[in-house]
Amino acid sequence: MKTPRTTIGRKLVTAMMLTSTAVLILAGIVFVAHDYTSSRRAMVQALVTRAHILAANSTAALAFQNPEDATQVLHALGTDPTMIGAALYDSHGQLFATFPARAKPGTVPAAPMATGHHFERSLLAISEPVVETGQRLGTIYLESDLRELNQRLHADAIVLLLSVFGSIAVAFALASWLQRGIAHPILALADVARTVSESKDYSVRSRTVGDDEVGILSEAFDQMLGEIQRREREVRLLNADLERRVNERTAELEASNKELEAFSYSVSHDLRAPLRHVDGFVELLTKHASSILDEKARDYLTKISAAAKRMGALIDDLLVFSRMGRTEMRKTSVNLASMTADVIQELRDDAKGRLVEWKLGELPTVQGDPSMLRLVLVNLLANALKYSGPTKEARIEVDARAQNGEVVVSVRDNGVGFDPAYTHKLFGVFQRLHGSNEFEGTGIGLANVRRIVSRHGGKTWAEGALHEGATFYFSLPR
Amino acid sequence: MVLVRRASGLALLAILLTAPFAAGAKLTHEYDLKAAFLFHFAQFVQWPPEALPDKNTPLTIGILGEDPFGKSLDEIVANESVGGHKLLVRRFQRVSQADSCHILFISSSEKSRLDQVLSVVNRRSILTVGETKDFAQRSGMIGFVVAEKRLRLAINLAAANAARLTISSKLLRQSEIVGPVRVQE
Repeated sequence: MKTPRTTIGRKLVTAMMLTSTAVLILAGIVFVAHDYTSSRRAMVQALVTRAHILAANSTAALAFQNPEDATQVLHALGTDPTMIGAALYDSHGQLFATFPARAKPGTVPAAPMATGHHFERSLLAISEPVVETGQRLGTIYLESDLRELNQRLHADAIVLLLSVFGSIAVAFALASWLQRGIAHPILALADVARTVSESKDYSVRSRTVGDDEVGILSEAFDQMLGEIQRREREVRLLNADLERRVNERTAELEASNKELEAFSYSVSHDLRAPLRHVDGFVELLTKHASSILDEKARDYLTKISAAAKRMGALIDDLLVFSRMGRTEMRKTSVNLASMTADVIQELRDDAKGRLVEWKLGELPTVQGDPSMLRLVLVNLLANALKYSGPTKEARIEVDARAQNGEVVVSVRDNGVGFDPAYTHKLFGVFQRLHGSNEFEGTGIGLANVRRIVSRHGGKTWAEGALHEGATFYFSLPR
Repeated sequence: MVLVRRASGLALLAILLTAPFAAGAKLTHEYDLKAAFLFHFAQFVQWPPEALPDKNTPLTIGILGEDPFGKSLDEIVANESVGGHKLLVRRFQRVSQADSCHILFISSSEKSRLDQVLSVVNRRSILTVGETKDFAQRSGMIGFVVAEKRLRLAINLAAANAARLTISSKLLRQSEIVGPVRVQE
């Protein structure tokens, strides 16, 4: 199980921190924005109120053309450092008095502006009418800098920043503490899962209790572990039972197989003695009574002798076949090339008077029992020679190739071939596709080939068609 | 007022340059100003309730004797009202006619009869205004004084109090308070 890159606890803390910080900053921004706008409104209100007070105090000065008094009224503004400037205009819109008293031209507008307020980059300006008993006597203009507003904004920002940092610290502490309740059961569950998957010990239980989904998960996990444990036990019992039964069956099979082989061996062996008697006495009878026997009787005796000899050959082959299944294999390196050459040399006598072209490919050295493999080659080559008998110019090719980690040896002839429909019968005991009067043989050679090859761990198969020759293959593991 | 406003656009610069009033245009300008002051007195003085019993009673500005204002006072007062009372200008030749007004401008032409006039008028709640020398000291209530080329006010607070007139402190601040204290008694 791989180690996680991060922990669920860290993720939880991060999520909580991000949430609370975002909310805090948003709330802070809303608060500051609201505070700023309401401060602006309050500032405008305060300045308007101040303007009204000043206006009320300067009505008489305006009415009775006393700019000195108006200047004195405005002079009171000097106590407030945020006041930049002020001006009184008479009912003709003419500048009447200013603050500071000797204001430079341009510091206050030469003509009154429309009633109301407006913010500029660094100042707030308001203009209010001066009215006495319903009579407009002039206009007052006040100009204040935004120092207080900016100071307030500044203080707000500092408070916001401090509270954000403070809250982040508190949120971190709280989140770290709170995540334990969520993360710990999960971590415990993860530990149990890791233990189970690493040590394959299904008896472990998480035993985490909780009223939430983790509790349910953990409970389900424990149940699942219990189920797995139960199944595993069952499977193990079932396996053991199966193995025991297989062993029993195998033993039974081996026993009956041995019995069968012993039986067939003893049968063949026991059949030989009476057969030899039959053959021997037929021979004695032929010698002894040939003068008194007519032609027909002598012919019968010849036929009996031939049949007895043939039966003897069959029994011999059967004995070889049963021996092939029973004798121990002695595996050594076998040079197929030289062995094939030897076998061909032996078979030359059988091919006397025939035109046979032998063709050998590159044959490798394999691991196997030499006498058994020799029997395979003898059988296959003798077959090839036999069934190519009717062909005028017989050609027999032996070749080998590597395929899927095996050595595949092929023996091809251009003889009578066989009907592919009966391919499955080729390698059976006593199975013959051609009559014994046509080609002699007991029908046990290919059965031997298959048995030997399969004991070496290989396979046998054949390809061919009637009158078009046949190819026999056998494979041996490398 | 309407005329003045209409003229203000052009006149603004001229007025700025000649403020408060230039010697050359003295006569006309001085009386325009005085007329405006007369009108403004209505705003800064409070009469006892019986002098202005209801809203229908017009606030009357009277001129006793020769009228120096020409049309200017009528123009300033036209269609104006103070505290719901319409303003009215009336001209009198004899003091006996003047008993129903609220502000009485006593023209310089009445200079010789001033004490007599005041003794008649001051028994009523009439704000007496004059331009003769030491008008306020001689028991007039508000006197126009020209000092340093400017029109100033002298107020005899005792006389006003005696007539049960309340003069706004705002107005008092613009003025010089004069008059023998003993007159109060």
